[in-house]
Amino acid sequence: MIKILFISDNNEQIDKYDAILNKTSNEYYCISDEAIISDVINSGVPDIIIIDQAYKNLRNIHKLIKSYTDNTVVIFLINSSPVEKEILKYANAFITYDMPEDLINSTININLRMKNAIEMLSNSNKDLADSLYRLNALYSTSSQFAGTLDKEKLLRCMSEGMDRALSFSLNCTLSLCTETEPVLILDSLYELSEELISAIKLRTILNYNSIFDGAEPPFKIEIDKLKVVKHVKNTANRFTFNLFQYDNMFAPIKLADNIFGFVEIFKDGSFSSDDSTCFQTIAQQVALPLKNASLYQEIIEANVKLEKLERLKSEFISIVSHELRTPLTSIKNSLDILSSGKCFDMTESAEKFLAMASRNVQRLSGIINDLLDLSKIEAGKMEFKFAPTNINTVIDYVKTALSVVAKSKGIELVVDVLENIPDTIADSQRLEQVLTNLVSNAIKYTPEGKTIKISSKVVNGNDIKINDIFKDSISGLSGDYIQVSVKDEGIGIDPKDQLRAFDKFAQIENSLSRKVGGTGLGLPIAKQLLEAHKGAIWCDSELNKGSKFTFVIPLVRT
Amino acid sequence: MKKILIVDDEQDIVESLKFVLEANNYTCYTADNGEDGLRLAKEIVPDLIILDVMMPKINGYKISRLLKYDAKYKNIPILMVTARSQEEDKLIGEETGADEYITKPFELDEVVKKVEEYLK
Repeated sequence: MIKILFISDNNEQIDKYDAILNKTSNEYYCISDEAIISDVINSGVPDIIIIDQAYKNLRNIHKLIKSYTDNTVVIFLINSSPVEKEILKYANAFITYDMPEDLINSTININLRMKNAIEMLSNSNKDLADSLYRLNALYSTSSQFAGTLDKEKLLRCMSEGMDRALSFSLNCTLSLCTETEPVLILDSLYELSEELISAIKLRTILNYNSIFDGAEPPFKIEIDKLKVVKHVKNTANRFTFNLFQYDNMFAPIKLADNIFGFVEIFKDGSFSSDDSTCFQTIAQQVALPLKNASLYQEIIEANVKLEKLERLKSEFISIVSHELRTPLTSIKNSLDILSSGKCFDMTESAEKFLAMASRNVQRLSGIINDLLDLSKIEAGKMEFKFAPTNINTVIDYVKTALSVVAKSKGIELVVDVLENIPDTIADSQRLEQVLTNLVSNAIKYTPEGKTIKISSKVVNGNDIKINDIFKDSISGLSGDYIQVSVKDEGIGIDPKDQLRAFDKFAQIENSLSRKVGGTGLGLPIAKQLLEAHKGAIWCDSELNKGSKFTFVIPLVRT
Repeated sequence: MKKILIVDDEQDIVESLKFVLEANNYTCYTADNGEDGLRLAKEIVPDLIILDVMMPKINGYKISRLLKYDAKYKNIPILMVTARSQEEDKLIGEETGADEYITKPFELDEVVKKVEEYLK
């Protein structure tokens, strides 16, 4: 109902307006007594105040009326005398003493309609501002969710987001994210007593259980074991049990079957349906990043385990190698002494078996060296001595060292090097190791009467032709390189085994079933040694035709 | 006759080294731990020392260092025998003063050759 207050000390006007207003269904007061005016206003702000400009106490009630002009239509009743400027400022409309009744009514109605329209506009504006605010809170919360993989931090972001959007008094979050035990996180405006916390614990567990509709909850939570973490904003004040009469909302934090927790918030005031949507959205939104965080944590843990295993393996290999070396030395020494013939008269078969034993001791020691090298490279403990190195000198050394073995198998070692090849910065001993391995392999797999060719040249990274099989594992070759190839006419390697030839795991797996001696770790070691030089190695091979192993190292001019 | 001191806690290795070196007309003294090795070195002042790295009480690197910093013994050539173990790796980089490193398992002939080189 519309409330109209008419103020005048002119009896004629009072009677006139009493008659006019009486015909409407509005609540109205026609008053001349100043004391009653404030009583009427205090009992409920009028929608319209009509005030006689000639009212004798206008100055006194001026302030009172002025303070209501925001929500009240103020109409001045004026006679011929000039209107005061001060009054003009807050008058919404004017009526003259002699105005006819229909004009008075329409002035009142127009102003009422305007007042309603303005109120509606301001209300919808307020709603709009509220939604915008909530949207902003939601947006900033979800961007915070995207920025972390820490579960505790995610739950904090959730609580802060809810506080921003909904200004709660208390947030109780039951977190099931920790590996060990569930935790109840309380974000409270005021301090909470132990009794109240116990009651909140019980309430949270009951609420949590209720979301499973009587089914067994995935986590059984015991009240005695529930740990509480408390964040209090204002410790000077305390919540009482009245808290439970506050408006509240709760929601599970879950993604499909993954339950991460449960959240309930309380507010001294009421939540709107928009608030509820916002609350549910945030509770839902946090579930996905929590899931991601769990997965991330699992990956990290798996990685830590793997790293530990890797380290243990390296240590194991190193220790075992050492423990093997010492007895092996004794065996080898004894065999050498026996072979020297200084202990007894050698027979042909004794010599044969002693040679056999010596050969195998040699083989065993090669295996230990390979294993040790590999574990050192992997542990990053391999030390390199980089110095100006001429690759042709390395080739020469390897050729000389292996020519005896090659000759004994009836194989010819041919060298085709680039004369005056420039020096580069490299570890010559490691390069010797790589090349020795490649040439020994070639000798091992090449039949009698054939040739093995070792060649060297300088190539530009763009001109290096890498076998397609290796394209994916070798990339980014730029600048000048020194390229060395070892080409044999041996049994060749099946294309499907070519990549695996450089893979240490594949080699270890195969080593037990290999017919030709060695661990087969030579190529994986060569690969790693060359990678330490920022170089690469690959092979081109055709079954029964032969293989060509090629490696490149950057040409670092000295 | 030239005197050679062999220090190694592995009795079998000491035995075989002693055998070949004696066959090559060297007089051999042996110790199976670092402490005895150091004491013997100072007592007999050998012409050459073959020294294992990993040994109880005092390791080979330490003995080598102690002798090489002593004017009285610093000219004695030291051949260091190493198993390239992880513990040894940790000690690498320390100044040892050893003249030569021999990796286990080694060739006895190679050791004899090295000894001859130093005692020419």
